[in-house]
Amino acid sequence: MRISIQHLTKIFPSRTKGGDAVHAVEDMNIEIPSGKLVGLLGPSGCGKSTTLFMLSGLESPTSGKIIFDDQDVTTLAAEKRGIGLVFQNYALYPHMTVEQNIRFPLDNMRIKKEEGNARALDAARLVQIEDLMARKPNELSGGQQQRVAIARALVKMPNVLLLDEPLSNLDARLRLQTREEIKRIQRTTGITTVFVTHDQEEAMSICDIMVVMKLGVVQQIGEPQSIYDDPNNLFVANFLGTPPINIFKGRIEGGKVFIGGEAVGTTEHEDQEVYVGIRPEGFIYDGEGAFTLNVDHIEVMGRDKSVVATHESSTKPTVRCIIDSDVALPANATQLKFNIKPYKLFLFNAETEERLR
Amino acid sequence: MKDENKTEVTPTPTPPPKKHNKFVQYFINLGHRIKGWFVDKWTAIKDFFGSIKTYKQRKLEAELVTNDGPQLTRGEKFRRGLKSQSGWLFVAPAILLMAVFTFYPIIAAFINSFKQGYSGMTGKFNGWGFDNFVRVFRGDTGTGGASFVQCLFNTLILTFISVPLSTLLALLISVALNSIKRIQKAYQTILFLPYLTNALAMGAVFATFFKIIGTASYTETYGIVNIVLGVFGIAPIDWVGLTSPHWEIGSLSIPWAKYVVTTIYEVWSGLPFKILILFSAMQSINKQYYDAAKVDGASRSTILWKITTPMIMPQISYLLVTGIMGGMKQYSAVVGIFGATMGQDYDMGTMVGYLYNYISLGQTGYAFAGSLILFIIIMIITWINNKVTKKHTTYR
Repeated sequence: MRISIQHLTKIFPSRTKGGDAVHAVEDMNIEIPSGKLVGLLGPSGCGKSTTLFMLSGLESPTSGKIIFDDQDVTTLAAEKRGIGLVFQNYALYPHMTVEQNIRFPLDNMRIKKEEGNARALDAARLVQIEDLMARKPNELSGGQQQRVAIARALVKMPNVLLLDEPLSNLDARLRLQTREEIKRIQRTTGITTVFVTHDQEEAMSICDIMVVMKLGVVQQIGEPQSIYDDPNNLFVANFLGTPPINIFKGRIEGGKVFIGGEAVGTTEHEDQEVYVGIRPEGFIYDGEGAFTLNVDHIEVMGRDKSVVATHESSTKPTVRCIIDSDVALPANATQLKFNIKPYKLFLFNAETEERLR
Repeated sequence: MKDENKTEVTPTPTPPPKKHNKFVQYFINLGHRIKGWFVDKWTAIKDFFGSIKTYKQRKLEAELVTNDGPQLTRGEKFRRGLKSQSGWLFVAPAILLMAVFTFYPIIAAFINSFKQGYSGMTGKFNGWGFDNFVRVFRGDTGTGGASFVQCLFNTLILTFISVPLSTLLALLISVALNSIKRIQKAYQTILFLPYLTNALAMGAVFATFFKIIGTASYTETYGIVNIVLGVFGIAPIDWVGLTSPHWEIGSLSIPWAKYVVTTIYEVWSGLPFKILILFSAMQSINKQYYDAAKVDGASRSTILWKITTPMIMPQISYLLVTGIMGGMKQYSAVVGIFGATMGQDYDMGTMVGYLYNYISLGQTGYAFAGSLILFIIIMIITWINNKVTKKHTTYR
């Protein structure tokens, strides 16, 4: 199902008299094609969960429209939207068995018992919990509970599947496994899926389309790789990528980009103060280069090396450069000179923090 | 390197002990022994206070101690011995009071119920046996007393109608209360008011509500209930008085009008506490369950019976158990409405009323026997109750 979000805004009134109202989501516009996996990404408090709950119908927008295919569902009640919702803490009913939990939406739709059982079993098979049907939720591990919650959301064959921080309650190993699982389930069912996360790695790894948000405002929409390679502003550049991008204070002078006294690249923009962002993998070492860093130490990761360095113009305490492990680095060097890959170097306006393209 | 500060200490030669004659020596030795005793105790006391350590130190020591066990000083041994038994010290006052006011009366009642012709005044009795129980069940307890079967019947009927009814009503009211947002606190306070009011006073007010003045041939002033019924064209009913309608089955009288009044009273006065318990239980249910149910298309009644009720089942079970226990012991409400004779010749008598009746008549043997029967009935009902409700509350 195609989802269209138009000028969606949610304002929570202030709790105290005379306080400021909270603009949780502001003028959001997204077009989601059918059958895609969409990730809403942003730091906590950026309005991504609010957006999800507005899509689900549990929260009503202050203004704007939500359109499923061609139907305006903005004022439609949650149960009539044909959505499946997986809550952050799963919200499985503790007094019901796994089977009863999965069947619950079907019972509400007054589906016949045999058909209901068959569909519940199908949903359980999809998430591989068919052996656990007789258990109560408190007899399941976190990962299993998660699967039950997904099965409960899928059993009514929703048009849209919504997941609220689906991986946040799982341990690191299970998280990796489950995110692949979610991707697999989404592929098999072909259901348009929207999920919320604050973990950029999680979002980048499984999303078809990623929506980066900050303080209720959409910063950038696109495929994960294209956002990573072409960030709109300093926030997006900073938020994506581990290790994070290195940011330096620099300036443009006569078509050259300067950090400190060194020219690290060229540009066509006018002379001005800028932030220079360089991805960790954007450094090239071949003995000599234009950009000098004070080396703190070198971390060897096997696949590559990570040079942890400092620079007086850096906005962060350390600068991190990732280089191939085959590249030989001089031992005990206190300073190293690097060349910068031009497509890994981004310039941002020093005031607006918008990208200079 | 030699430490220069260190000087060699030559042991000073001990002076030879002075010789005394035997008599003086005896007292000197005695003095030494007495002094030694005090020194000994003093070290013990010092050990005792010295051995008071922080929890951390203690734990550290416990880890260091090998299989041989710790080398304890005397004070420490004494302190630990005291500590292991010190729990008794704390519960001693409670045990003492309970022994006097709880355990002794229970045992005495149990024993006395088997004494035939027991006189509460003199403590004399004719012999041991089941005579009291037989007479209680037969109703052969002399004139002027309440009928045991009637009292038991009344109690059971009133309890098993009013307790489930008030619990159900409390559940529905709690749900309603939980779903409103404005002036929720005010409603809560109003609903809780009956809990703060005295049972006898409320009973008197109820009696006035249902009262009818005069007889069947002369009925002029009605209570508010009869006035309201009159609007619907129903003839006034004597709810609480002498001409109150009743059915009779054998020797059993079924004063249904009085049952109605008492049940309404019991339900109404039982509501506040039940609402308080159920409402607070509902407040503690995670809101996400309701959101999930809403997304899953559950109707309001489905949410109530499939989500809310199972989740507060522990509280409901608690209310049923305590409610039935309380119901079996009801007394003041009936006295409040129907007066000290509990209706007409105890036709609204309850089990506790039965006990009071025979205590006041001086025939305490029957009261003892009755109390034992009541005790056994309550125990059986509670046991069944636990068995039934446990099935539904073991998910946590």
